[in-house]
Amino acid sequence: MSYVSEILPPLLQGAVVSVELFVITLVLSLPLGLPFAFGEMSRFRPIRWICKVFVFVFRGTPLMLQLFFFYFFFPLALNIDIPAFPAAVLTFVLNYAAYFAEIYRGGILSIDRGQYEAAHSLGLSKAQTTFGIIIPQAMRVVLPPVSNEAITLVKDTALASVISMSEMMRVSEGIVNRDYNLTAYVVAAAIYLFFTFILTLVLNHVEAHFSTYTRKEN
Amino acid sequence: MSAILEMKNINKYFGDFHALKDINFSVEDGETAAIIGPSGSGKSTLLRCINCLTKITTGSITLNGKTFVDTPEGGAAKYIPDKELKSVISQTGMVFQHFNLFPHMTCLENVIYAPIKVKKVPKDKAVKRAEELLDLVGMLEHKDQYPEMISGGQKQRVAIARGLAMDPEIMLFDEPTSALDPEITGEVLNVMKSLSEQHVTMIVVTHEMGFAREVADKVAFMNQGELLETGTSEEIFTQPKSQRLQDFLSSMIR
Repeated sequence: MSYVSEILPPLLQGAVVSVELFVITLVLSLPLGLPFAFGEMSRFRPIRWICKVFVFVFRGTPLMLQLFFFYFFFPLALNIDIPAFPAAVLTFVLNYAAYFAEIYRGGILSIDRGQYEAAHSLGLSKAQTTFGIIIPQAMRVVLPPVSNEAITLVKDTALASVISMSEMMRVSEGIVNRDYNLTAYVVAAAIYLFFTFILTLVLNHVEAHFSTYTRKEN
Repeated sequence: MSAILEMKNINKYFGDFHALKDINFSVEDGETAAIIGPSGSGKSTLLRCINCLTKITTGSITLNGKTFVDTPEGGAAKYIPDKELKSVISQTGMVFQHFNLFPHMTCLENVIYAPIKVKKVPKDKAVKRAEELLDLVGMLEHKDQYPEMISGGQKQRVAIARGLAMDPEIMLFDEPTSALDPEITGEVLNVMKSLSEQHVTMIVVTHEMGFAREVADKVAFMNQGELLETGTSEEIFTQPKSQRLQDFLSSMIR
């Protein structure tokens, strides 16, 4: 037990980095997915193709490889210095935006054509239709898959260890190698589980809020 | 009385399919017009051309004195710019076969949304007007319910209130009772009948022959993309001229 209390502070420090990466990624990639989703459905072929290629590339290559690209290759090619954390944020945001774009696209396509026709017949503008009618309904459809991605992201943050970012996975790896003791992995697993547990509770709450259109309470 | 809607030489092609064949159709202010005919005859297509849900291939349409689409000699139909077109469209209200209420809004919110967003009516005024309209269609007590919670007939009555809330010059009904149980079509037809009695200009695409006969001032019969006969309900139902209309009516009455 005293060993656990000895390794806990550095692990928690790593956990803070993991959570930071998680939160920043989510906050930036959730909105960023939307323009890509609409871009993929754009009438303008160049925009459509750019967005499709973006999604194709980021969904079609390993996240780890993308991390290497933005951490090692990108700085070399542009002759700039990108520290691990911003490199990881950039990679994760783009990668998750690509996934969210596809989820959003599916949600938007699931909305019945009659909704657009009703909006049209009432004289609503494109923007009013999109933001007032379509997106609020698509929200309900996309929430379960988005929640799923959010849970995946908790665990994906561990991948940032490959670019020497001292998030929780890398910290626990260091402790295991130093002490020849696997306890750090067990503790890290418990902390990951704790995060996903809290996140699941939050997401369930959000989903329940959007899941049905019933009589307004209170 | 003057024509509030005038459609001239309307042709519509979907690819090679000639859906509307040189149709001339007009509706007077305050009139109730019914469009009848077999399925696939182009009734709904004709109705949807009036608020630009479907764009015509050639012809001209004038609504409330504004010609929003016209066709130069030998050319294709040319619409006025989108922005002006929007204001023409907002002079029409439409009721759909499948209601198309916004499921994420309560009945009241469904009715006030467009007046507030499009016409910039202050919210309290919009609510007051919406409550009057919901009362008119007998749905005031359900105003805070979501569409999911109410029956098809109730949804359609809310949809009628939503259409009326924009104070349209003309109301378009696209088979408003076709998706309803026969038992509850009456509640929707009664609302429409009372609108007709209040001289709301309306065009109703319908399979309800009883309604067309009793309520419509003018009845148009369409068959295979052609407007075969137009007349008073008396003329259409008691003295049908074409063999096709006679056959259609006898098959509908059975």
